[in-house]
Amino acid sequence: MNGYRLGATGIIITFFAIITATVLLPMVLFNPKQTPSANNYKNTAFGEKGKADADPLRGRQIYVREGCFYCHTQFTRLQDRGYGPLVKAGDYVAETPHQLGTARTGPDLTNEGLRMASEWQKAHLVEPRSVKPGSIMPSFSFLSDRDMNDLVAYLQSLGNNRKYSAFVQAPEEYEAYLARKKVDLEADASANAGRGIYTQNCAVCHGLEAEGNGPNALILDKKPANFTRPFYKQYSDSYWFYRLREGVPGTRMPRWAETLSEEQMWYLVAYLKTLPRDQEVTINNMDQLNKVEPNKLPTLSNQVYEPHTGGSGKEE
Amino acid sequence: MLLDRLLSDKEGSAARNFLITAIFWSVLGMGAGMLAGLEFSFPDLVHNVPQLSMPHLRMFHVNTVAVGWLSMGYVGSMFYMVPSLTKTKLWSERLGNFTMWAWNLLMVGNFCTLLNGFTEGREYAELGAVLDCMVVVALICTSLNIYMTVVNRKIQKLYVSLWYFLGALFWFPLVYIIGQRTFVALPGLNDAIIGWFYGHNILGMWFTTVGVGMMYYLLPRITQNPLYSHGLSMLGFWGISLFYAPTGTHHITQSPVPEWLKAIAIISSIFLLVPVFTVLTNFFMTMKGKWGMVVTDMPLRFTITSSIFYLITCVQGPFQATRWVNWYLHFTQWVVGHAHLALLGTFSFILTASIYYGLPRLTGREWHSQGLIRAHWWLKTGGFTLMMTSLTIAGLIQSAGWHHGIPIDLWSIEIRPYFIFRSLSGIMIVTGQVLFAYNVYKTVYAAPKAVLATAKVQEVKK
Repeated sequence: MNGYRLGATGIIITFFAIITATVLLPMVLFNPKQTPSANNYKNTAFGEKGKADADPLRGRQIYVREGCFYCHTQFTRLQDRGYGPLVKAGDYVAETPHQLGTARTGPDLTNEGLRMASEWQKAHLVEPRSVKPGSIMPSFSFLSDRDMNDLVAYLQSLGNNRKYSAFVQAPEEYEAYLARKKVDLEADASANAGRGIYTQNCAVCHGLEAEGNGPNALILDKKPANFTRPFYKQYSDSYWFYRLREGVPGTRMPRWAETLSEEQMWYLVAYLKTLPRDQEVTINNMDQLNKVEPNKLPTLSNQVYEPHTGGSGKEE
Repeated sequence: MLLDRLLSDKEGSAARNFLITAIFWSVLGMGAGMLAGLEFSFPDLVHNVPQLSMPHLRMFHVNTVAVGWLSMGYVGSMFYMVPSLTKTKLWSERLGNFTMWAWNLLMVGNFCTLLNGFTEGREYAELGAVLDCMVVVALICTSLNIYMTVVNRKIQKLYVSLWYFLGALFWFPLVYIIGQRTFVALPGLNDAIIGWFYGHNILGMWFTTVGVGMMYYLLPRITQNPLYSHGLSMLGFWGISLFYAPTGTHHITQSPVPEWLKAIAIISSIFLLVPVFTVLTNFFMTMKGKWGMVVTDMPLRFTITSSIFYLITCVQGPFQATRWVNWYLHFTQWVVGHAHLALLGTFSFILTASIYYGLPRLTGREWHSQGLIRAHWWLKTGGFTLMMTSLTIAGLIQSAGWHHGIPIDLWSIEIRPYFIFRSLSGIMIVTGQVLFAYNVYKTVYAAPKAVLATAKVQEVKK
């Protein structure tokens, strides 16, 4: 033993230093406060109809017992689409043992609550392929009625407190752009000016009728936006401007700040604001590329505009 | 005497019993994995039997191959390697056999509880409180036995394998105790941090360290070449002990845990390339001039296969731990393939090599059939390569699905063929393992066909 005191001490010190750094230190430094968006398992309203005694907290134990977390994760990531709002550190304070999961053989369940009817969830647990053909989820038909109701109650409580409270806004500095703009966004003249810019720059992807069906749409993985969707009525002026100026990360939408002047972008905004409809026009196949129906153009008027000197549509 | 039968103090009996029971659990554990894999391809294969539903099979599979097959095999291997490296007897064969019984008892408990869903719900730490305590007792008995053997050693200098074994037997009981969280309820994310500290270090501080130690033992022994460099082996040992332990958090890089912890984990993961390359340089340089032996010598062929899979695992590991790769690959079957590459490809192979090398010397009998050993190698290597390829491709399809926002219903159909290949590979691997078990049975229990003239326990201590 004598010749190896240094080695043995080294092993012990190294190991305890690492334990201190990666096990004890996070326990001390990382104590997030519980956030309101955390799951609440006290609500018993999500059980099967007429069975108010379904207990989501007991359902969580069933979830653990049946090993659901081997295939279903419970944290949303920035790059996930369609799995609802992102999680916060404080959402997990009461989640012991953690059910973060490590593989997604099935979908993420972070915000699964109330996405489907309880009856659907139950049918899916008993016979997954009857409601989702091609699914490889095992059948949990062996669960007792009580277990099944509690498990469904648990699933229905996931993510209920995690809601979008506000529409995404442009960053604050865009208020300055809004304040110094000289273009009247409500004027038909501005919209007409914008339409020209649109045809030159945007129509190749978004389509002449702005239905997301330009010729380039054929080859794009992430399809261009269809601006006729009623959804776009929610866009504020500054948000439209922000999207144009910065582009959309992860898509082929470029940063127009590089190519267009601030004023041209405001004209575009004026035009884009006229596009959203009450009924969405959908494109079902490639034959419909740019052939759907003529767009309703903004009314031409006699208003004077000076595209490149900041005319507001009225006399300066 | 009943006591002598149950707790034999015959030299080498503890190692032999450990290795043989490990093989029994390996057949059960890998069989469960195979059945779970089949249920991925044919989800209605087993209906209405909770014990055989995929998640129950999965937790049983993971715990049986990790705690049963690999850990028991490791302890058995250390029980014959350490005495031969220290040129002394095992400190207490009786204690060794007691450990063997305790370990088997807890594996029976593992069989009864996990298949019925009595789980703690923590990945890799599913065993219940009583079984956790039994694992700790068994590990401490093992540590005591090995440490006392080393204290009583006849040669002063410690060979590098002993460094690895002694390090692992100090680290792993502590990692296990910290990682179980049986008697504490931590807030969710702290639970996850500790959980992955444990989940990764059961590999880093136990399977890797003991497995690499075994490679260091087997390669020079079988090839009769001296170890290429003692200095390099020490660099590898200290590299692992420094860089492996903090890497756990790289399993949850995209969850809301502290960024500094993720940074430590990812940087350590990349630094792991240092010990890996030093260790493998050492192995491959030791093989110099003896590469032809892999054709005829089956234990050596298993060892070399294992070290090549180790190279692939350890290049893949740091690669997928980096943020930008993890961003794309996380949550997919790629990771499942990687986990099998480490535990099945690397450590299961080295353990098999150790059994093929050690068991004849422990029992004094020649292997029943060399052909079965070859069949085992081909089935296991072929099966594993197929499994790795199919899981990796399935993982890439899956990650493309997540990345492009394609609904799960679409891409989950795309990966069905690869799940069928995976089931096929599982069948091959389990067939290999059954042949292995049959070979061991015929060798140890059936009437001896030939007695290895030179093979005695003392022979191991050349």
